[in-house]
Formats: sequence, structure tokens, C-alpha cells
Amino acid sequence: MTAGLDRRQFLQRLAAAGLLAVPATGALAACATGGGGTSSGGAVGEVSATNPLGVAADAPLDVVIFNGGYGEDYAKAHEAMYRELYPQAQVKHTATTQISQEMQPRFVGGNPPDVLDDSGAQKIEYANLVNEGMLTDLTPLLDAPSLDDPNVKVRDTLLPGTIEQGTFGGTCYGVNYVYETFAIWYSEPLFEKNGWTPPTTWDEMMALSEQIKAAGIAPFAYGGTNAADYVLDLNLGAAIKQGGPDVIKNIDNLEPKAWQQEPLVQATQGIEEMVRKGYFLPGSEGLKHTEAQTQWVQGKAAFYVSGSWIENEMKTISPPDFQMTALPIPVLEPGSAMPTTALRTQPAEFFCVPRDAKNVRGGMEYLRIMLSKKGAAAFAQETASVPVVKGGTDAVAQKTPALASLSAALDAAGDNVFNWQFWIWYAAFKPAVKTEMGNLLAGRTTADGFLSAMQAVADEVAGDPSITKYNR
Amino acid sequence: MTLTPTKPPQHPAPVEMDPPEDGPSVGERVASVFSTGFVAVWAVLVVLPLLWAVLTAFKSDQEILTDPWGLPQQWRLDNFARAWTEGNIGTYFVNSLIVVVTATVLVMLLGAMTAYVIARYRFPGRDVIYYTFVAGMAFPIFLALVPLFFVVKNVGLTATYLGLVLVYVAYALPFTVFFLTGFFRTLPGSLIEAALLDGCSHAGVFFRIMLPLAEPGIVSVGIFNFLGLWNQFILPLVLMPDQDKYVLSQGLVVLAATQGYRSDWSGLFAGLVIATLPVVAVYIVFQRRIQEGLAVGAFR
Amino acid sequence: MRHGKYPFIIGFLAIPLLLYAVFVISPYAQAFYLSLTDWRGLSNRQDFVGLANYAELFTDTQFWRAMGHNLALLIVVPLFVIAMALLFASATAISRVRGSRFYQVVFFFPHVLPVVIAGILFAFLYNPQAGLLNAFLRVVGLEWLTRAWLGDDAVALPAVMVVMIWSAVGFYYVLFSAAMKSVPRDVYEAATLDGAGRLRTLVSITIPMIWESVQVSYVYLGIAALDGFTLLHTMLPDGGPNRSTEVVAQYLYRTAFDEGRFGYASAIGVTLCLFTLVLAIVVMRFSRREQVEYA
Repeated sequence: MTAGLDRRQFLQRLAAAGLLAVPATGALAACATGGGGTSSGGAVGEVSATNPLGVAADAPLDVVIFNGGYGEDYAKAHEAMYRELYPQAQVKHTATTQISQEMQPRFVGGNPPDVLDDSGAQKIEYANLVNEGMLTDLTPLLDAPSLDDPNVKVRDTLLPGTIEQGTFGGTCYGVNYVYETFAIWYSEPLFEKNGWTPPTTWDEMMALSEQIKAAGIAPFAYGGTNAADYVLDLNLGAAIKQGGPDVIKNIDNLEPKAWQQEPLVQATQGIEEMVRKGYFLPGSEGLKHTEAQTQWVQGKAAFYVSGSWIENEMKTISPPDFQMTALPIPVLEPGSAMPTTALRTQPAEFFCVPRDAKNVRGGMEYLRIMLSKKGAAAFAQETASVPVVKGGTDAVAQKTPALASLSAALDAAGDNVFNWQFWIWYAAFKPAVKTEMGNLLAGRTTADGFLSAMQAVADEVAGDPSITKYNR
Repeated sequence: MTLTPTKPPQHPAPVEMDPPEDGPSVGERVASVFSTGFVAVWAVLVVLPLLWAVLTAFKSDQEILTDPWGLPQQWRLDNFARAWTEGNIGTYFVNSLIVVVTATVLVMLLGAMTAYVIARYRFPGRDVIYYTFVAGMAFPIFLALVPLFFVVKNVGLTATYLGLVLVYVAYALPFTVFFLTGFFRTLPGSLIEAALLDGCSHAGVFFRIMLPLAEPGIVSVGIFNFLGLWNQFILPLVLMPDQDKYVLSQGLVVLAATQGYRSDWSGLFAGLVIATLPVVAVYIVFQRRIQEGLAVGAFR
Repeated sequence: MRHGKYPFIIGFLAIPLLLYAVFVISPYAQAFYLSLTDWRGLSNRQDFVGLANYAELFTDTQFWRAMGHNLALLIVVPLFVIAMALLFASATAISRVRGSRFYQVVFFFPHVLPVVIAGILFAFLYNPQAGLLNAFLRVVGLEWLTRAWLGDDAVALPAVMVVMIWSAVGFYYVLFSAAMKSVPRDVYEAATLDGAGRLRTLVSITIPMIWESVQVSYVYLGIAALDGFTLLHTMLPDGGPNRSTEVVAQYLYRTAFDEGRFGYASAIGVTLCLFTLVLAIVVMRFSRREQVEYA
């Protein structure tokens, strides 16, 4: 045997584990000591005006950050703020990309962290966490006074849609911290040079695409091998603007024939026409999103449909004068239910407080700190992205081109923002959208084929009693 | 008693075969040219991509994506520096070395003992044991991840090197037992007979005679285990949550993820090249012995 | 039968078997149990559902499609790898190709290269815009052959197979070269005296002489082909165009970690495992070896 453990000890431990060698129920039940039953919420301190959540000042805090596109440095700033308020508390910082593999055993073992940023490709599906009762109801946090002004509740400091995004079945279980916005992106200097005007209607977009193609540039690019789903914003976005919020409500609520609604059919046929006319960069179906985006920043394509993380993602590769600019999805026809300036804003980076955490109150306090003006500014400064806090980017002195254009677009949109939930609530949708949108864009299927495939997924989810359903 | 380990079944033949004395036919010569050509082409197909990987590690992110096939305009050593420091490659390297070397030595010892007993003794349950090990090669690892986590946790070995080593040993056993069993079966039984008659114990026969005889097989299987465990990343991901004790492959996963979210391709390639070099070195150094081991019958 | 045999056998087997039972068998036994439940992987909550997962699996078209892709890999990859490895090995071992030692080092490299690197590398190679493959085809006037290799549902899976073959040939080349060395020289001499050609020598003498190595290679390649997870996950993480490259391991991963259906995923894993075992046993049965036992 290796150092540190003699054979007798080793055998003793194995004997102790003997129970475990017997199949599962016993094993898993044996691990349940930390969890199960009522949630005590762990450490409790005295509630006061400065400590509205009743944080135990000396309780350690365990924070797990998703180390993805936004890095981990902003979290270190938040942790420093927590330490400043509670100098006796030990704050443990973990940054990882493999959320699911590392956190799942901790959840089963009843030993989850106090704050979890559940994001990225390896995230645990939020719906699963909620359905299994693993998360803390964040109502106390939302009703607590904000850090900046004791007369304003935390819930009133958030941008529209934030609470809705974290709400499952009427209860808010998470704060999505980054206000991600979805748009068509282009290089402003390229358009100026060619005298192209960014389109506001679908017809203008088609006309301009013809012009762009004639100039020897592909109008659009996309990453077919892993990110065809980005393009869904083009047809579903246009359909929602045309028909109003009910269009997406029907889809999210799994209404029958929701994917056959007239505006959606029209917009999807629009994409089919674009494919037929060759408006997508040839070979896009064989590109990864990073490769497609590289073609785009090199000027091989004019437009790229994506979320607002795109500038940060491409910053080491984009030419310095690229000037990424956001363009809202054009409307199908004038007289649409929502104006052309409307945007899909979808808060992301799901911060939650696990129910079995040892320091639930501390976890909520940490979120309160994140949602303060100072916390938000630290994030915006560090990541050049928009946090879900009102006025969160005000303090950022030097805005990047994309951030500046995004702020302007958000101002222009005002309350005309929308989002969709179906692929967050029901795991079956995301892979289906990727596959079917890939088929549509590569010409392997028609608009009709795409929509019936999506309708089939929706019907299957709706008819499966084992899947928890949500409504909006 | 000690026996000088002799090379098992001596094959009389040298490696190469001479063409017939009266010279090859035209067809033979054409075939020779062709096969030599194919071999050379394949060598190029193998070497070029490797060179490409090394070159890429010296490029900037922009060059990698915009000009994947060109030479780097400037040889960026800082990619390696970044991978080394930010990726913590240095520390992880040492951690990997500790875990993988210990596990390899241990699995070779235990695997050889098991294989020897299975190959040379008849006892009830022998075939069951053998096929249980063979079956172990067929299991998809991530199926067992979560249960395995709790097994390790309940033995009190989560986030310890020992835990990782024991799990590595357990998961490398099937391959080791499978190949060494075949190997031990090819060794001459008369030696054992003689030794036992001489009063040598069963264990003595194994350690003094059979183990030295099996050395070529043990070395080559050991090297495969080393290579395999060096690249293992799913197991440590779940069993080694302590970031100070991360092994190299975990560090690479972090680099790969960073590349995915922040387009740090150059850091990823530099890290991968750093991680690959020792493995290549091990292979080159032991290349002759691996071949010996294979030739003598690890695959029988 | 010698005295002290059993204590010796038990002494030798105790520790390895214990480790194997605790760290390998018991987790898989638990996984098997989980395949009979609806466990979702986060809480302790799990209901016993009997064979319901297996019943569902039986009619799950996505699973069977993935299984079909595995079968394609299982047939094509070992065939090409073994054929090429035999060809190269006989070319260098028998005909005194200069620097055969050099080839033995070089050919092995892809096996040492982390699969992740191979995946990224070939993804660049297949890039329809900037990739070497299309560029090469254009240069040699085969423009009509260029395509989006990983984006075309007819060629994506073969394109991945090429990568698998590329990285495996070297190992089996080294293996077969070694096996060929142990074929006694006089066998060849007899053959050449008979005037047997090179190809005939390979087919009628060399291959039969090393047939066992070939069979074991097939088992090993087969096991690898039934997995294929890391490479496909690097090259085509979402199952490829129209899901034409998704293999069972990827489907299992998606079911478990994306959909949180660990019970069902366990059923997939158990099925895959049984399938692999059957394959291994069938092939091994054909290569029964004579056993030299001492008892």
C-alpha cells in the first residue's frame, strides 16, 4: 500500500464502506444525512436594518463560479465586498467549467455550495434543480431592501424580465445576472464604406442581402456544426414582433399548433427563401461557431445572428476597427404588433442558493451584494457586459463599440422586450432546434418540415406526464 | 534458488527476409516500390499534423483562426508561459507524475499477480473472475461516475492522491489482467515444475522466476497503462475537486473550456503540447522494449 | 495438487479483487440498479420503475440510430485499421524498407497524441472555407469534390472515421510488426522457394501465422469503436448534421447531463455494455487458445 495508510486501516475503511458495495438504495440513502427533510437554511444571525436577511457574521461562505466567457475576476470583487461587510467570514472561491460533474455529487450528498453560478455547456438544467426541490426560494432576497437605498427593495432595482426569467411555477429560484440581448451584428465601418443601410423590415433585409451578395460577400454566416440554433432569433424573433407576445406565450405554454402560427410560418418561409437564394455563407453548415464568427470578422460575411457575448468572445480575433454593432431583428411587415426596435433580452448566468446550503442567508446576502450598484459596476467594468441591475453600466467610463450600440438599442426598445422559455423549461427543445435549424439552413428540409418537427417535439413534451409543466 | 531470467521462447529467425537469391521479378519490384511509397506517404500524413500542432502552439489566436496553415509571423513563447502559469501546468504536472507513476507500479504488481494465478492455476470460479475482468474493459466509465463518487467518499478518500491512485488501479486492472494472462500462458510450465520440486513456494516461483521472465510483457503493458492513465480526465474530474491537487488532464480541460468561451486557442495548444511531450518522450525511450514485449506475446 | 495452493491463490487475488469489487463492480452494480429507477441525478428521490426504461429504449428511435452509427464504426474502422496496419507492417518487416525503426516510432505518434488535439486538428482540416482538404482538392482540379465535410450528413460520419483510422493504424502497425518478427524465417523461405508472390505470402502465410493478434486487435478496436465519445464530442458535440454522427455514448451523456434522466441513461449504458460484452465473447470464442495450466 502507498504511504499514509497501512493495510489494516485500509481494510477497516473498506469494511465501513461495505454497505456501499450493496446496490444503490442503501448507498444513496446513506448519503442523505446532510439533506432531505426540512431545510434549516444553516447558519442564522440577528436580523437588523443593516442585516435584513439575518446573516450569521462568522459563517463561512462557499461560492462556486462558472469560469466561462465572463471569467472569474468579477466574482472576486464581489467576494471582497462580502468580506468587507462580514470580516469574520471565511469566503471560499471555486471557479470551474465542469459544473454538472463537480456539483451533482455535492447536491446528492447534501453538501452543495452556498452560491452557485450554474451556467455554461456543462450546467445542470435549472428545471431539474427546481423540480427536484434543490433550490432556495429567493423571495426574502427580492423583498429585502437594496444595499444602496433602504427604501427600495431589491426586486425594484432589476431590469424588466429578470425575475420572470428565474421564476418557475410562481416562485423565483434564481437570479440571472447578465442581461443578454440578441440581435443581428454587423461591422459599421464596412456598411458605411459600401453605403449599405441596416434594414428594418424583412423586405429591406432581402433587398440588401441581394446587394451584399452582388458585392461578393455572403450576407449571413452561421456555425452549423454546433450553433445553428442562434438563427432561431431570425424567424421566431420576427414572428413575435409581428404577432405580439402571444406568439411566444403559445409556444412556451405548449399550446397545440403553436409552431404553426401564421407569423412564424411566414418568417420561417423567409429563411427558406434566404437559403434558396444563397444568402448564407457557403460551407457554413460545416463550421463551428468560432470558425463562422472568424469568417464574419474577416469580412467574408456581413451579418451574424448572436447574443451580446459575441464581442467579448471575438475580442482577440476581431480587427481593431471592426466596430461590432447591434441591429434588432427586422419586422416582417410594417404595422407589426411590436416596433422594429423591440429586442429579445434574456437574462443569463443563473445564480442560485441551494436549499441544502450550510449558509443560505449568506448566499442570499451575496446575491444582494452582486445586485448593488457597486457590485454591478464591478461586473460591467470587468466584463464589458450589461448586468441586470438598473443603471448597471452607468459607471462604466469607456464603453466598447458593441456595449455602446447595445445600450442605445436597449434604450430605443424601452419596454418592448421579449424572451422565450420553452428551451429552458423543457430540455428536449434545444437539441431539436439545433438539428432541425441545421437541416433548414443546409437545405435538407423546408420551412414546413422544420415547423412540423418542432411541433412534434412540443406535442411529445405536452403529452408526457412525467415532465413538470410551466406556464406564463 | 535464482534463475537468470532467460528470454522466453526463442524464435530462431531474424527480422528481415531476404528476397530470393536470383532477384525479384518485375511484379515484385513494382509491388515493392508501391508498398514503400505507401509507407512513406503515411509517414508524411502522420508527421505533418504533429508539426502543425507544434507550430500552432507558437501562433497568436488571430493567426490560428485566420491563417491556420501558415507559419507563425512571430514565435510566441508567451503562449507556453501563459499555459504554464495560468494553466498551472507545472504543479499539475508534478501531481500527475505522483499519481500516475504510483498507480502504474501498483497495477502492474497486482495485475501480474492476478494474471499469473488465472493463467497457471485451476480453481473454482477462475473463469468467472477472468471474464469479470474482461467485462471491465467494456464499461463506459461515466455511467458509474456518480455511484463511484460515493464509494470513494464513504471510504474517506475523496480529494486524496490515494483515492485517485486506488481508483486508477482498479480501472486499469481489466486491461492489465487480460493481456498478462495471455502472456503468462505462453511461459514454459516446466520451469515452475522444476522450481516447485526444488522446494520453492508458490509465491517464490512467481516472484523469483515468473515475474522476471514476464518482464517484457510487464514493461510494455505498464507503458500502455502509463499512457492511458496520463490522459485520463473523467475520473479525476469527479474524484479530485481540490484544485491544488488537480492532475494535468484536469488542467487541460480547464484550458480547453477557456478556449471555448474566450477563444484562447494558442494557450490551449501550448498546454496540450507541453502535456504531450513527456508522453512522446516515454514512448521514444521505451520504444524498443514495447516492441519486445509485444513480440514475445502480450497479445497471445 | 500441491499443498498450500489455495492460501497462495487467495493471497494473490485478495487485494486486486477487493479493489476491483469496491471501485469498479459496485458502482456498476449500482448503475444497473439505477437503470431500474427514474432517478434524476440530484436528490435521493428515486422510484423503482422495473424494466420501464428498457421498454422505452426498445422503441427509442434516437437510441437505435445512434446504435446504427456505432455499428458502422464497428465494421468500417477495424477493417481499415487492420488492413492498413498489416499492409504497412508486411511492407516494412519483410522487404527491408530502409529505416523501419524510424517508421515504428513515427507511425505510433498519433496514438500518443491526445484525442482532443486530433479532433481540433481535423476539424480545421475539414473546414470548408480555410481547411487544407478543400484547398488541396481545388489545387489538383477536383473542385467538384469539395464540400462542407462535417456539415454534410452523407460524409460527416466517414470523415470522423478517417480520424479514428488515422490515430489507430500506428498502434496496430507496431503490434503486427512485432508479431511478424516472431514468425520463423524458414516458413518464408519455403514460400519464396515455391515462388509465392508478396501478396500471396501475406495472405496465405503471414496472416494465418499472426491470426491471434489480428483477432485480439479486432476486439480491442471494436471496444474502442463502441465508445468514440471523446473524439465525437470534440468534433461534433451536437451529434452532427441531422444527427448523423451521434453515437450511443453521446446520447447517454445527453440524456444524463442535459436532460437529467440518469435512470434512463443508466439503462442505455447497461445495454451498450452488454452489447460490447457479447461482441468480445463471440470474437474471443473464435480465438480459443490452448491453455497451459499448472494444477
